[in-house]
Amino acid sequence: MDLNFTPEEQAFRAEIRAWVAANLPKDISHKVHNALHLSKEDMQRWAKILGAKGWHGWAWPKQFGGPGWNVIQRHLFEEECALAGAPRVVPFGPVMVAPVIMAFGSPEQQARHLPGIMSGEVWWSQGYSEPGSGSDLASLKCKAERRGDYYIVNGQKTWTTLGQYGDWIFCLVRTSSEGKPQTGISFLLIDMKSPGITVRPIIMLDGGHEVNEVWFDNVEVPADNLVGEENKGWTYAKHLLAHERTNIADVNRAKRELERVKRIAKAEGVYEDTRFRDEIAKLEVDIVALEMMVLRVLSAEKSGKAALDVAGLLKIRGSEIQQRYSELMMLAAGPYALPFVKEAMEAGWQGDQVGAAHCAPLAATYFNMRKTTIYGGSNEVQRNIVSATVLGS
Amino acid sequence: MDFDFSDDQESLRDAVRRWVDKGFSFERRHGIAKAGGRTREVYAELAELGLTGLAVPEAHGGMGFGAIEAMVVCEELGRGLVNAPYAQGALVAPVLLSAAPAEVQAAWLPKIADASALVVLAHQERAARYRLNHVTTKATKTGNGWTLSGAKSVVPAGDEADAFVVPARTAGADGDAQGIALFIVAKGAAGLAVRGYPTQDGARVAEITLKDTPATLIATDALPVLEHAVDAGIAAVCAEGVGVMDKLVAVTAEYMNTRKQFGVAIASFQALRHRMADVKMQLELGRSMSYYASLKMAEPAAARRRALAQAKYQLCNSVRYVGQQCIQLHGGIGVTDEYIGSHYFKRLTMLEMAFGDSMHQLGEVSARMQDTAGVFA
Repeated sequence: MDLNFTPEEQAFRAEIRAWVAANLPKDISHKVHNALHLSKEDMQRWAKILGAKGWHGWAWPKQFGGPGWNVIQRHLFEEECALAGAPRVVPFGPVMVAPVIMAFGSPEQQARHLPGIMSGEVWWSQGYSEPGSGSDLASLKCKAERRGDYYIVNGQKTWTTLGQYGDWIFCLVRTSSEGKPQTGISFLLIDMKSPGITVRPIIMLDGGHEVNEVWFDNVEVPADNLVGEENKGWTYAKHLLAHERTNIADVNRAKRELERVKRIAKAEGVYEDTRFRDEIAKLEVDIVALEMMVLRVLSAEKSGKAALDVAGLLKIRGSEIQQRYSELMMLAAGPYALPFVKEAMEAGWQGDQVGAAHCAPLAATYFNMRKTTIYGGSNEVQRNIVSATVLGS
Repeated sequence: MDFDFSDDQESLRDAVRRWVDKGFSFERRHGIAKAGGRTREVYAELAELGLTGLAVPEAHGGMGFGAIEAMVVCEELGRGLVNAPYAQGALVAPVLLSAAPAEVQAAWLPKIADASALVVLAHQERAARYRLNHVTTKATKTGNGWTLSGAKSVVPAGDEADAFVVPARTAGADGDAQGIALFIVAKGAAGLAVRGYPTQDGARVAEITLKDTPATLIATDALPVLEHAVDAGIAAVCAEGVGVMDKLVAVTAEYMNTRKQFGVAIASFQALRHRMADVKMQLELGRSMSYYASLKMAEPAAARRRALAQAKYQLCNSVRYVGQQCIQLHGGIGVTDEYIGSHYFKRLTMLEMAFGDSMHQLGEVSARMQDTAGVFA
């Protein structure tokens, strides 16, 4: 047992840190550190900087153009990016669809799609959830009918994160109603410029446009865009979930945000208030414990001994912590969390601030973070999964 | 960064587990508790396994092992619900004596290693709660040595111990960090009175009073040594808690799969399954922080103290939650004396209060916060 990273791993960390410091644009990290609005241009600029270095797909193996890092190197890269204030890489391309294309896609699909994902040029969206299919995803109805060389897609997807920017969307679609719901699902890659696709914004409780409805009206999709075999899409999607691993805990960002909680609490005069400070102390212990759990998973993965079945725990705890730090920041701001001045969430706004500038986005972030215990398999669904690891199913 | 145990550590774990399975049944534990909680016989068996010399340097007849081996042993003793003052005698005492002059170390450490002497820390005072700098017991320099006067409370295995390590004040006022010295006081010393009594979980502790009692100096201005020793105790308690929780959760899962109500196993009810998921969460957070505690034992004092407070705070919450919920999940049988579950719960409750409860530790964490956070901060 050893808590410390090896000298080689520490040298790797130093290399990443120096590169990020030299290449992450300051205007972007300023926005991230202060929870100001990130534009599509901001996110894509960072994606392309990473892409030019071959790191936008930082978890990819060498054969597909990735750096071929092991789990520890990947973790260190993620941590250095998060602590430096890099925007979270939009995961749908490099983290979610790319591993599926690598594992199950044809050589043509790999050649066509992976370079654009790595470079950050092509923006991918995810088409999983439907109005009637949330936690019960396998009940999805969006239908793809084979006609000659095409699938004709009809139906609706929803909660499509940043789908307003999407060039392509990977969808789970129903290709059969025979047998169990899971067995009639296929994995389809769809060009979002195809005729018949409509993207409609869903404005969330924080006033932000982060998610969308995507409608499909007789959309023609070349049959070549089917990944793997028809009706095997559920298996591929589960493979994708297995690639989530420790990312879902988002502990690196939590460490950065805890530092921000402390800065705001100091500025607002509550850091020396015992009742408030103790709440921060509790969160600090929660974050250390979560980080230790993440490190245990990484260690087990690295050594191949005694794998840990704690993905559900990481999701539950990580999301609770995200909610808690956003809650504490809002409480630290007190009455100055109340004003809703949308422009104040834009970098460089020169209008009349109500309270300190750092107060402007706090309530919006708090509202926004309610999603974390709902998405990616609600925490209640996660508890079902976790309980099966203790009690059997 | 590597959380695998070495082959030697796994062998150590197996050895302790085999002894528990063979030699320490629930009936034996129950019998010891009913008879007043005296455990020197059990302690001697641990010595036969070599465990009492685990933290004693090889030069003094021990094994000179580190915090990870200690953690492995404590986890297994916890899993077996073994009542013996192992952490006190074998893990805390050697740290205290490490600050002593060579002749004092030579006099005591070999005896600690072979368990011919049980030496325990007697530090708690009536008004101090868990604060280590609150010491009113007074040390007075005499012609050729020292005498101590004062009282210490809830001293582990007090009336079974052969000697006590006693913090006493050579200077300063109650609460001062300076002026606290450590002494060793042998059983039977003049003016030493020991009154033993059982604890809620069937172990044994004592009140001790000292009146002009002759004592041997270990070190002056020794608060840092006391803190280090208490941190070793905290790491041991965290590990024992993990072992106890592991077993209690397994027992509870088994019960839920056999107990039937409304015609089905109660493990099929979602309300209970979700509770079990939360129990698993607290267990794994606790295990993670127990590792953290032991892995941080070799850090410089400030980092070590902060980490150990964080770890104990987590373990306090974990042991309380897991204990309470596993009793609840059992229903009526959980609150009976005849069922093993209630004994795990009582042990967990004792562990929360050993070396500082959740509120005390939260205060420590809060006072020691820095601008950065995390495992490597």
